[in-house]
Amino acid sequence: MSVWFQNFFKRNGIGLSLFLLIAVFVWVVLMIVLPQLLMLDFSFRFNWHHMNPSKMGGPDDVYTLTHYKFLVYGSPNNPDPFNIVDVTVFFRTILAAIFVTMFDLALCYPIAYYLAQVAKGARARFLVVALIVPFWVNEILRAFAFRILFGEEGSLNSLLLAIGLLDEPVDFIRENVALYAGLGYAYVLLMIFPIYNAVESLDRNQIEAARDLGAGWFRIHRRIVMPFAKPGITSGCTMVFMLTAGALALPQIIGGPSSLWFTQIIYQWFNTGSNWPRGSAYAIVLLISCVVLLLFLMRLFKVRIGEIGR
Amino acid sequence: MRSETILRLSIGFYILLFFGYLFGPLVIMSITAFNSSNFPAVSPWDCLSGEWFGVLVNDDKLMTGLRNSLFIGAGVVIVAVPMGLAGALLLTQLSRRARSVMYMVTISPILVPGVVLGISTLIFWERIDRVLLGTDFFYDGFFLTIIGQATFISAYTMLIFVARLQRFDPLLEEAALDLGASNMQAFRKILLPFLKPAVGSAAVLAFLASFENYNTTVFTIVSESTLTTILASKVRYGINPSISSLAVIIIGLTLFFAVVYELLRRRERSDKEKRLAETAKTNSMTRRHRPMMVPATALVLVAFVAMMGTSWVARGYSTSECKLRVAQEKHKRSEALSQQRISEARAQRAEEQAAKAESPALQANTEGRQYQNIFTPSNLAGQVDSVSSDSNGSSTEAAVDANKAGREYQNIFAPSNLSGQVDSKESSD
Amino acid sequence: MSADVQLENIGVQFGEFVAVREASVTITGGEFFSFLGPSGCGKTTLLRTISGFQLPSTGRVLIDGQDMAGIGPNHRPTALIFQNLALFPLMTVWENISFALEVKGVGRTERRRRADELLEMVALPGQADKMVDELSGGQKQRVAVARALCAEPEVLLLDEPLSSLDLKLRQHMRTELRVIQQRAGITFIYITHDQGEALTMSDRVAVMRQGVIDQVADSTTVYDQPETAFVASFVGENNAFSGSVAEVSSESVLVETTLGIFSCRTSGSSSLSKGDAAIVFVRPESLFFVDDVGARNRLDATLVNQEFEGHFWHLLLKARDGHPMRMSVINDGRSSRQQTGSDVTVGFETNGAVALPSGELAAD
Repeated sequence: MSVWFQNFFKRNGIGLSLFLLIAVFVWVVLMIVLPQLLMLDFSFRFNWHHMNPSKMGGPDDVYTLTHYKFLVYGSPNNPDPFNIVDVTVFFRTILAAIFVTMFDLALCYPIAYYLAQVAKGARARFLVVALIVPFWVNEILRAFAFRILFGEEGSLNSLLLAIGLLDEPVDFIRENVALYAGLGYAYVLLMIFPIYNAVESLDRNQIEAARDLGAGWFRIHRRIVMPFAKPGITSGCTMVFMLTAGALALPQIIGGPSSLWFTQIIYQWFNTGSNWPRGSAYAIVLLISCVVLLLFLMRLFKVRIGEIGR
Repeated sequence: MRSETILRLSIGFYILLFFGYLFGPLVIMSITAFNSSNFPAVSPWDCLSGEWFGVLVNDDKLMTGLRNSLFIGAGVVIVAVPMGLAGALLLTQLSRRARSVMYMVTISPILVPGVVLGISTLIFWERIDRVLLGTDFFYDGFFLTIIGQATFISAYTMLIFVARLQRFDPLLEEAALDLGASNMQAFRKILLPFLKPAVGSAAVLAFLASFENYNTTVFTIVSESTLTTILASKVRYGINPSISSLAVIIIGLTLFFAVVYELLRRRERSDKEKRLAETAKTNSMTRRHRPMMVPATALVLVAFVAMMGTSWVARGYSTSECKLRVAQEKHKRSEALSQQRISEARAQRAEEQAAKAESPALQANTEGRQYQNIFTPSNLAGQVDSVSSDSNGSSTEAAVDANKAGREYQNIFAPSNLSGQVDSKESSD
Repeated sequence: MSADVQLENIGVQFGEFVAVREASVTITGGEFFSFLGPSGCGKTTLLRTISGFQLPSTGRVLIDGQDMAGIGPNHRPTALIFQNLALFPLMTVWENISFALEVKGVGRTERRRRADELLEMVALPGQADKMVDELSGGQKQRVAVARALCAEPEVLLLDEPLSSLDLKLRQHMRTELRVIQQRAGITFIYITHDQGEALTMSDRVAVMRQGVIDQVADSTTVYDQPETAFVASFVGENNAFSGSVAEVSSESVLVETTLGIFSCRTSGSSSLSKGDAAIVFVRPESLFFVDDVGARNRLDATLVNQEFEGHFWHLLLKARDGHPMRMSVINDGRSSRQQTGSDVTVGFETNGAVALPSGELAAD
């Protein structure tokens, strides 16, 4: 070990070596590892932080499962056997994230394929730029655009009324259509580019050979293109799922009253609820669930974690 | 051949639809920026007006948020670019095992939900303050946000540097050493210049990612604000087209930079080709870059025509006149509508009194919602928080009371109310 | 300024794999010395050991009598020209060349002056301000040489620098490099798998096989007096007939093979005794048709193929037992052409054949 350090310092000189080591140490330890560990620890403690700060560090500051219990069972006064609201919200968030991911995949795969294999030269570059431009606009502003579009007085309603498809304006926001449309839209870029990268490196000759042997386009995709693009697809799905499950801005802006997102509950524990440990516990649950789901997904599709990355 | 044309057409149609989905909301939002109505809308179209841009600029909170966002963005660039660079360089010098471990650890902030990053950063530094220092030194919105954002943005910059490093020929460093350079000299003179383009794109990426971040920022910003948190909070206070005008500005800037970037790249390409052609002394086929010229010139033409058209229209057009006209029309309409509603409400209330006694919560909810739903156009005039008499003269007390009562039960964000939220006639505790 | 290079029992091992084994050789200052061998024989490893990028597992490298142990590549009086040249793509030609001076802190004007000087020496005047990617292959070569020379090394190490060039350019550069070396007067250590290159350019050649140096001698000696079967088969073309030693005398050796008993000379320090397994090596140019003249050794064969190579004919023959043989006949218009497919008798003199102890042959 010390041999490694000696060689390291010799190879990079003192200044550079110190810079590398300190920078990475600060990043990995102080910014990534310790805060997560601390949050985990925090989630197991009582909320003295807010209720009675003097008790922190004292004999009453013990470990407890009360916050996790609250997520599942609700408050002690809860007449229901479970914390129906929170648990429902949790599962709805996860399920919605899964559906949005699948929707995005179906939506973006053709585009990514088209960009990678079919479009040529200048047109391809133009399309890529056209793809990126909407996403340079702030996520919040995009959410507002959807709100304008889907509101009861919004453009979509006006259009549908004008055409005659509707008699009365439909509150799309309330019906959660706006939220799901917005979520499907928000992370399209992160689905397209990994797939695009993967498909681009596919030798076009393989597809032509398959076509030459009589394969229809569906079979070509299923047997040749998709297996090849698997790392890209997995990468895209991972990003979209994590970001959708963890989305906060979109639900807050275009979410209706009945589509509460789990992250919003977490936010409330920190904000008006003033219960940081409970919020941490909820956040940990969200994190662990997402990670578990993801690992399961990767195992299912036989993809290693090293292959995920841009 | 026909099936292929059908296929091509449907693909083209699909792509059109797709890009329509992408650009549509933005285009619509941009249009609403010029509508003088109080609520962003394309129809009904009131008057063409640029007033909302003025409102935007005068919105102090928003401007403060904008300033803070720029400041934080710069801070994140200063922190995340060197960190990412250090990470990328260190990765190249580790053994295979250590490398994959470090890679996984440093990439993890990208996958972790932003809210978790924000929370953990907040808790960590607050604990350091409390336990180690006993002061509020680190508990500062700016510091926490820069740190929190840099946690995952450094991973982005690191990826950029890793990609660039992969194309670096390690023999170049050896050649430098062989010619007598020290390790530091080889680093400075050979490796760094090679990484320079990556530094540029990493900085841009870091700034943009920081500027538009919300999930992490909303936790770490504590008592300060950024552009994104201000915008998000507007959902509670109601939105007006000044937000649309902000969108127009940002979209315009984005398009502008996209075009500039493309032109610059184009010029660099043709420069290089020219040089190579000279050396090779053969007739190089300088591809005429016509294909991109067409959309670019089209854009310019459209912009020109739009400007001409607007100025021509504006000459024979006065915004204030139009607004006056529209306001009068609206006034008339709302009067008629509220008369109708009052008589309806009276009839309905008589009905309800006749029925079985309902829980007060339900009643208050239903009534309050009437006045609370700002999405109902007629209520824009009816949204009342204080007792006043509107131009009609009728008192708005009833509306105010209903509002207040309803809000108590409507605020689902208050934790105690999670069990109190009633939407149906079941009996609560 | 040139220096001697001494390799004392160098061994380089990577885990289980032995790349270089007990390599010892002394290279005189000012010499053009080549390491010749097939890919994977360890010559690149040896070069990197001399230049300091590779630490030897055993043995020492001495330059000018000084042990190089612990001295890094940037402090050794050596300069290395990499196989892919490793020119700095973001610098101009003159900046590349004067890099060694830039590292020492020499001022810009002086560096520019020196770079121009060196460009003259490698016959590339006026290219100073170009970027590296604007040059042709041969030009890049010369820039690489100039860059190395600017470091004023005592030993210049070249790692197969000509392998990526086309034939004509390669031949041209061979002469160029030799000229540059003589002009600069420093020690050149050159590694290649092309024996034509090694033979034409070098003062002395070391033939390597699987990490071991088989023979060190000048070109003619290596060609005419190979010391091992490998050297005989690797350097130039050679026909090989296996057999056993029947008789040894002071002037010749009689070797009994399946095609007959051949009288050959011995070579170098190898000593053969009766009964040893031996291989008889006959160069293609040492064979001639027996119809024209008489010969000490003769054998029957069938003419399978004839290839015209310009100034000589390359013939492929098959001996009685199917053993393929190569023969070259000078195209002087005099010697009568044989019919492809006909039976012929070929012969060679004692001097035209070398008998060596049996050993590994070079792969075809």
